[in-house]
Amino acid sequence: MSQTELPELDPVIHAQARLRVVSSLSMLREGDRIAFPRLQEILRMTAGNLSVHLRKLEDAGYVEVTKTHQGRTPATLVQLTRRGRLAFEDYTAALKALLNPSEEP
Amino acid sequence: MTSEHDDDLPMDPAESLRLIERERAEAERKLTPDPRVFLWPWGFAWLISFTLLFLRFGPGGRVFVDMPDWVPLAVLAATMITAGAFTGVVGARSGRWISGPSSRQGAFYGITWSVAFFGLSTVLGRVSQFVPDGEVNLLWAGAMVALTGALHMAGGAIYNDKNVFLLGVFISAINVIGVFAGPGWHALLLAVLGGGGMLAAGAYAKSRLPKAQKAEAQNAEAETAEARNAGAGNAEAGNQ
Repeated sequence: MSQTELPELDPVIHAQARLRVVSSLSMLREGDRIAFPRLQEILRMTAGNLSVHLRKLEDAGYVEVTKTHQGRTPATLVQLTRRGRLAFEDYTAALKALLNPSEEP
Repeated sequence: MTSEHDDDLPMDPAESLRLIERERAEAERKLTPDPRVFLWPWGFAWLISFTLLFLRFGPGGRVFVDMPDWVPLAVLAATMITAGAFTGVVGARSGRWISGPSSRQGAFYGITWSVAFFGLSTVLGRVSQFVPDGEVNLLWAGAMVALTGALHMAGGAIYNDKNVFLLGVFISAINVIGVFAGPGWHALLLAVLGGGGMLAAGAYAKSRLPKAQKAEAQNAEAETAEARNAGAGNAEAGNQ
């Protein structure tokens, strides 16, 4: 399989940092939201860097960022949308298909 | 730093799949609380207090260690309350970063434990006065352990966790065997197999969690590079 097939992969998550973000978020149960600082800690990214990538993912409709209050403390919660989860699953399936073209139906 | 630029470089499929697996394992490791934190407080509580019960109220009324008769029960109550408070606080803390179905589920389950024990204590406290002295300890210990076993089994059902369910089955089984064997034997079984079983279950569950990744070393490089930008990042985090 040649590298020319690669553009078929979803360009939004076909970037190392955003793939890492989506991979981590995919471990949350559907409907669960994670606090921004905790996600940042899991990903070992700076807040600025993570914000930039979240915005791109949000623009694509893959993540939902909610500003809320937990008690009196403002909190930013991040969640993978159903669309984002599907995109991630499709992306993973596409990678596997690229690696094992024979197994593709 | 160059990583902002590198971040956008596409990778080959195999590398991407490895990255996905690494990140998912890392997220699981960081999002899953250490199971020992939930099992070991109870393991130690049972080991200590049921050992004291056994030593003071041995099989056939034997007294191995002549301590005041209120000591084992007071220690049992104190260690149970400590273990309950500790696991409750740790459980609440570990869930505070996630909101949604999971945190609601955790909160409901935690409340269930408190309410169930409060309800049972109320009933037992009321009827204890009518129970012969030799059987009062067995009544309390047997009922509490039966409830603990059932709640573990329910936990296994709720979290779809076979090991927690089996721990509940094990606790329930040794409790029934101990109750039939009678006072003294019950305490011995619960100290050794119940307390010891929870300590072992905690160690086993811990050993099955994903280990810290070797990739940490790789990521550490990116981390130090990113740390230089942390000033800007922290300012933004402050606005969260």
